[in-house]
This record gives sequence, structure tokens and C-alpha cells, in this order.
Amino acid sequence: MLVNDTNKRRKTVAVLAVICAVLQVGVAPHLAIANGHPNLALVFAGLVALQTGGTYGIVAGFCAGLFYDLVTTGPVGLMAGLLTALGYVVGLGERSRLTDDAAGSVRIFAAAAAAVELLYQLGLIIAGQGAGIADALLTRWLPSTLWDVIVFLPFCWVLSHRQAGTPQLGNRRKGKGQKGLSTKGLH
Amino acid sequence: MASHSSLSHGLRQSGSSRVRVFAVLMAVSLVLFTLSSAAGETGPVAAVRGVVQTIVMPVRYLGSVVFAPFDGLGNVFTNLTASQETLSQLQEENERLKAQNAQLAESAQAAQRLEGLLKLKSSYDLTGVGARVVSGSVDSGTTTIAIDKGTTSGIAVGMPVTDSYGVIGQVSSVGPTSAVVRLVTDERSGVSAMVQSSRAQGQLEGTGADELSLTLVRADQIVAVGDLVVTSGLGGVYPKGLLLGTVTSVERPSGALYYDITVKPAAAVGNLEEVFVITAVSSDQSASTAEAAEADSQEEGASPTSAGAAAGSDGTASDDAGATSAGSSTAATGEEG
Repeated sequence: MLVNDTNKRRKTVAVLAVICAVLQVGVAPHLAIANGHPNLALVFAGLVALQTGGTYGIVAGFCAGLFYDLVTTGPVGLMAGLLTALGYVVGLGERSRLTDDAAGSVRIFAAAAAAVELLYQLGLIIAGQGAGIADALLTRWLPSTLWDVIVFLPFCWVLSHRQAGTPQLGNRRKGKGQKGLSTKGLH
Repeated sequence: MASHSSLSHGLRQSGSSRVRVFAVLMAVSLVLFTLSSAAGETGPVAAVRGVVQTIVMPVRYLGSVVFAPFDGLGNVFTNLTASQETLSQLQEENERLKAQNAQLAESAQAAQRLEGLLKLKSSYDLTGVGARVVSGSVDSGTTTIAIDKGTTSGIAVGMPVTDSYGVIGQVSSVGPTSAVVRLVTDERSGVSAMVQSSRAQGQLEGTGADELSLTLVRADQIVAVGDLVVTSGLGGVYPKGLLLGTVTSVERPSGALYYDITVKPAAAVGNLEEVFVITAVSSDQSASTAEAAEADSQEEGASPTSAGAAAGSDGTASDDAGATSAGSSTAATGEEG
């Protein structure tokens, strides 16, 4: 059972990675509000961190960020570091958050996306590749964050509905009156 | 209790593993960031990026093909929030294009006006020179314009001047390279004229305003609003048949021998830029003897003094130069030159 769940999770993440990579390279450059484009690597990292978390979320964030750095023109390592941090911080919470609390997941992702995009713009300025601070905030950070949340929503909806009926690793679907595993009082 | 302890230990181990992985990956990211920033577009990081960019190029190209029809839509949003620098550049370019457009429009209008002058010249077989208006009246007492051609271009005092629509006036003074033209609207201007449809002869005089007064047209002649008034050719100064204006009102005071006729000038005398100075009038462009006789016959029954004035005077009403009118045996009124 555990093996099946792990395989299913890997398969889901792999498919998600391919979809996000193709969208990032082929579609994102053509979606623009002001100078802001959606960041599918961030969306991918957020989804994995929210659904799986842990080390898996951290590695997925790093890989997604590195891919983003390599296909864009910014400094390599900046988005990788930021998405690694996102994977770590967002993945600290309970697993399968997407399935259990989709609305809360959107709120967490929106906050994380805003922070990552802001830090990325600041990183670009530090690296000498950014625009002025006002331009970075108004025409890049805000629209990029908006795009990220917009793009995140359909993925969130699909994943939360798709996995709602599937037992998840470390978080089996709770029945009425049942409680899942808790680590409260163990530390 | 033992199982609790084991679970807690496992979680702690997992937590520390997660921190280790996080620390390592953050360190790798930092190193990459440092290398990338230091090496710029060269070095191993840039080489790897080049390879990745090459691999993803087909997907990028495919995206471009698919989204090509929608790129314009994206530009709308981009333009809405274009950077200040871009807006400044576009504004500068817009100003430059506006100025260029104004120049081209001006050239087109000038070409149109010159074409009109050429058409007039060829229609009436006129001999003369084109000139450019350089200024208007320098005083408020006269209605004149200055042109940029003078005696060196063959211009002399008394020569008639037209624009592409019709007669505008007569040269009143001339220098080597400039001349002053008294417009038909000047109070001292007078041109032998006739109503085109009825051939009723008269004297077109300036009023100082933007309208002309056609005087000495006998009340038994037929004149109606809308009739065209043209030069009669009497006096030999103006070629006959040149358009002067359109009748705008016709009044006949009770008991008067002559109409009071108001004429709107055909030429845009207040807005002249290029004009044509007629330097020579051939004999067939002047009124023939028969036409002069007909003019005289219209004056039969009118007082001798007024008949003479009506029958043939071109030029300045008060500047009689003593030249004998070509078409009138009774008049010897003023023509300049």
C-alpha cells in the first residue's frame, strides 16, 4: 500500500513537473500583465510543498527553481534558493493540505508567492539586473504574484479533487469522528 | 510508551534530515548565484544555461507560434503600464511625427494652391510670375499684402494679381525684390466688373471690410443673388473674365438709377500665401470694341459723370493716373500704371 502511494505520488509529481515546465517555457512568456509573467516553477514548488512537503518539497523547490533560473535570464541560483526556502517553510505544515484545506492552501500559496516574487525582484536589483524599485514593485512584483495565484488555482482545484478520494501518504482520509495522526505532545 | 518514543525519534530524525537537505541546497543555490553573478555571460553556469536553452527551444518556438495571434492583446496590457522611459520616448517620437505630419500637410496644401494657380494660368492663358506672400498690411488704414517678387522679376505698378480662385488686387508699389499689392477689398480699389450672366457692367469697389460693393449697375439690368461677378476687361488692366466674387445682396433704393449690390470676394483675401502676378495682358484678353460699345450703351440714360465711371475704370479709385480707358470713349478714370 505504501509502495503504491509512493509510486502514485511520484507519478503525479512527474506529470505536474512536465506540465509546469512546458507551460513555463512555451506559454508563460506570452502571458503578461505589465511586465509580470506567471512563474510555473513557483506554482509547481508550492503544489508539491503543500501536498507532500518535507524533504520532497525542498528538493522539488530547488529543482524547479534551478530550471526556472536556467530557462530565464536572471542569475542562476536565485530562484533555486528562494524555492528551496519555500519548499522548506510551506512543507513544515501538515501533509495533503491541498486535499484537506484548499482555501487555506490558496492563502498560504498567495503569501508565499508574494514573498518569493518580492525577494526575487530584490535579488535582481542586488545582482544589477533589476529595474528601479518602483518599477520592480508595481510592474513586476504585483502582476507576477497575481499571475502566480491565478495559475495556481486550477492546479489546486484539480489536485484537491483528484486526490480527495485517494489515501495519502501519512494522512489517510479521515472518517466521521476519526482523527488523523498528530505529533502534538511528542516533542 | 516505547512506540511513542520510537515515533518521536523518527520524526526528529526526519526533521533533522530535512534541515540538512535544506541547508545543503541553499548553500548550492548561493554558490550558483555567486558564480553566475561573478562570471556573467561566461563560465560553466552560462554554458549549462546555453544547453538548457537549446533543449527547450522547440517548446518555446511552439509557444510563439500558438500565441502569435494573441500577442497584440498582451501588448495592450503592457502598454497600459509602460515604463516612464518608454512613455517619454514614445511622446518624443509622437511630437516628432506630428511636426513631420504638419510639414507634409503644409507642403501638400502649398502644392494644391500652386496647382490651382497653374490651372488658372493655363485656363486664361495668362502671362506672369508666381510670388509668395510675405506679410499683410503694415498699417490699419490699408488692406494690402507684400509679396517676395519685384522689378527684377518683371513686376510693375498696376499689374493685376490673382490667387487660384480669382482676382485679389493690383500692385500698388514695387521694389527690386518685393512689391505691395492693394487688395480688392481696400477702400481705394476699383475694378471694372460685370455680372457674368446678364453682362451688366459696373464698378467693383472695396469697402475696407471682407465684402465688395458693385456700383454703377443700372437698375434696368438683371442682377440676382448668387450671380458671379467677373472682370469686364474694360480699362485693359485686368484680363476679362477673371472671377471677382459672388453677389450676396441686391437692393434698389426707391427712385435710384443704380442698384446697391454687395459682392463676396472669390479669393480668400484674408488668407493668402501664394499669388500670381499677371505681367502682360494681350489685346484679346481685354474687352473688345463691341463690348466697350455695349458697356457704353448700358450707360445711356444715366448721368454723364457716372456713366463714365461705370464704363471703364480699373485701379485705384482715388489714385487716378490719367490713363485712358481702353474700352470707353467717355471715361478717363484711374488705372494705376
